[in-house]
Amino acid sequence: MTGAPPLAGIKVLEFAGLAPGPFAGMLLADAGASILRVDRAIDGQTHTPGQTPPATEDMLTRHKSSVAVNLKEPAGVALVKRLAARADVIIDPFRPGVLEKLGLGPDELLRLNPRLVYGRMTGFRRDGKYKAMAGHDINYLAVSGALSLLGRDGEKPHPPWNILADFAGGGAVLFQGVLLALMARHTTGRGQVVEANMVDGASYLSTFPRMALKTPLGDRGRGRNMLDGGCPWYDTYETKDGGYMSVGALEPQFFKLLIQGLGLGGQGWEENRFDEARWPELKALFEATFKSRTRAEWEAVFDGTDACCTPVLGYPELETEEGREGDMRPSVTLRETPCLGVKKGSAAADAATVGQGAGVEGEGYKGFTLGAGEGGEERLREWAGWTLGRDYEVNKGGLVLKEKSRL
Amino acid sequence: MDPSRPHPLSGKLVVELAGLAPGPFCGMLLADYGASVLRIDGPRSPKGDVLARNKSSICIDLKHPPSRKVLLSILSRADVLIDPFRPGVLERLGLSPTEVLLKANARLVVARLTGFRRDGKYQDMAGHDINYLAVSGVLAMLGRAGENPFPPANILGDFAGGGAMCVVGILLALVSRDATGLGQVVEANMVDGSAYLATMPRLATKTPFWGSPRGENVLDGGCPWYATYRTKDPGGKYMAVGALEPHFYEVLVRGLGLDKTDLPPREDRANWPRLRALFEAKFAERTRSEWAEVFDGTDACVTPVLEQGELEKAGFEQRLPVNLGATPGKPILPGQGDWTGGTLAKGHGGEEILRRWIGWERGVDYHVEENSGILVACSREKL
Repeated sequence: MTGAPPLAGIKVLEFAGLAPGPFAGMLLADAGASILRVDRAIDGQTHTPGQTPPATEDMLTRHKSSVAVNLKEPAGVALVKRLAARADVIIDPFRPGVLEKLGLGPDELLRLNPRLVYGRMTGFRRDGKYKAMAGHDINYLAVSGALSLLGRDGEKPHPPWNILADFAGGGAVLFQGVLLALMARHTTGRGQVVEANMVDGASYLSTFPRMALKTPLGDRGRGRNMLDGGCPWYDTYETKDGGYMSVGALEPQFFKLLIQGLGLGGQGWEENRFDEARWPELKALFEATFKSRTRAEWEAVFDGTDACCTPVLGYPELETEEGREGDMRPSVTLRETPCLGVKKGSAAADAATVGQGAGVEGEGYKGFTLGAGEGGEERLREWAGWTLGRDYEVNKGGLVLKEKSRL
Repeated sequence: MDPSRPHPLSGKLVVELAGLAPGPFCGMLLADYGASVLRIDGPRSPKGDVLARNKSSICIDLKHPPSRKVLLSILSRADVLIDPFRPGVLERLGLSPTEVLLKANARLVVARLTGFRRDGKYQDMAGHDINYLAVSGVLAMLGRAGENPFPPANILGDFAGGGAMCVVGILLALVSRDATGLGQVVEANMVDGSAYLATMPRLATKTPFWGSPRGENVLDGGCPWYATYRTKDPGGKYMAVGALEPHFYEVLVRGLGLDKTDLPPREDRANWPRLRALFEAKFAERTRSEWAEVFDGTDACVTPVLEQGELEKAGFEQRLPVNLGATPGKPILPGQGDWTGGTLAKGHGGEEILRRWIGWERGVDYHVEENSGILVACSREKL
């Protein structure tokens, strides 16, 4: 029997942002927490009968609700403070000092709610030379040293979309810090400030390649090493039909199977593969060989073997083709208290593996925006038993406490 | 350790079956935040793991029941086991998580980390980071336009989508355990871990503006104001440009000494090659430090691409990924996996763990084989 998801009952106030903050919120939501996103009020649009809550660009919105608040008005700040008094987690995605200036800094909110886990996400270090500057994923990777490791030989450094700083080294790291703080709170009874920045997040994730720089594994320069595109048996190769196969045959026994599968046995490559002077030759040979057949033909050769040779699949085919295993699943499987599932209807078969619940619109392939103020009234009822008109009202599109309320 | 500021995972015992890369990274992250981590080495375990700071080790022969008994004893007390092996290996060693380990210790979290899905078509195959990214759909999105797909070293599969996601599962299971009193099996795989991390790019490709082929989008090298540029310096130095928002773009343009009215509108993709060429020419006019001086302290979203060697020379401090104000992790000490070091000799320090956690003593409860260093339980059991 499936237990409740790990963060059931945890309440999170997520100040609206883009990418890393919402990603941390999504990880929390997928683990069962209740997320209330705090958006900017727009007079005449938000919390306005007859008006559709205006969408923001954020698409990492599943399971979330939103309230719109005017944070420049004391009454708006007062409402947020009242919510913070009931929340378990805050997500602050702003540059250092922003929430303090609004009277919503950690000193203030932890005074109101000593159990609060106040999560703060920045790109640059809060105490570093770039702390006041605007930036994006590519900039944080750049000053962390991680970007200098990434890119092909002879080309400029190249980041992998915005996955490494915004998400892997950003939102996911803040999420890990929040979990650690929730665990500490179980012992100490108290919350605390949790600070994640994408420079340290990305640098920590890059520990292995950074350490390899001073060893034969990684000392040849960007793009010239075994694991970063420098060697023929760790790379991708184009097939006859314009697809690609990935090759990662590091160990000798796996390399041997690769050579056999490619029909290149008996040429001495198993013995001579570390003769680097011959790498251009070996690479050209692999290129020509892979180009001689279609990707499906190569899959038929290598599926089920230990050659470490798999097809490079694209999302369109993963989404639609039978047998392609493209169903989106939780980030990690918990067999007794699973996170929330993504693919609709799959939990009926195996909630422990695919997540519990009904799945989500878009099934992890198509994203949906969340309007500012959308679903917030219901969530306020869930969190605090509040109703519009009795406990709070709308002023210039933003929610404010009703004067009479003494909750 | 300051008793008024304990580490978040103080008092937790983690047993890490030795492997390479993802498993040790998972153990390292837990150790950095205060868990006691005991690495189980053996006759065939890997050498040279650099992700081993803050850990101890004992040597066990998993195929030899009297040696395995030592491991079973520590697992009866442990909070977490990290299993980096292919599906079925633990079971074949008589260490089935559900039939043996959780029955002996219902509070144990058994964290199983694989590359491929445990229930998928590739479940029994060998593979590496590049292979897991390939079948997950992520690799097809990575790399430059007109080139083969290209992963970011082995960071995304092994670590971000592997070891770190395994930590996420372990922490979630420990949180659940606070409520239920029970452990469970956690299964992390690098296909789903990396796919989850790529959620936003994947969703973005279904929107009209972001749905171009690999390397032709705004955030993957397609657009001139989100890219790296080579400077005048010989040997290759670069600046990184991430000026997405209009007001940041204006600061970029000004900083480059260009007049916005001279530039073709950036909203039209047809102008991107020309803008890129203009920016390339400009950045090539000055050195990286000259450009850094222009852009430091501004909101142009332009920063130098710093090399590891120069960071080390400048005394850049490697820090833990997230800081907890009241219950911090352990700072990374020099030579402990910052730029060097971080290794752990097989068998080092682990006997102290046995003493501290289950009161086991050498000569009484186990002996150590002289040549191999393997621990073997004494036939007389300590009750």
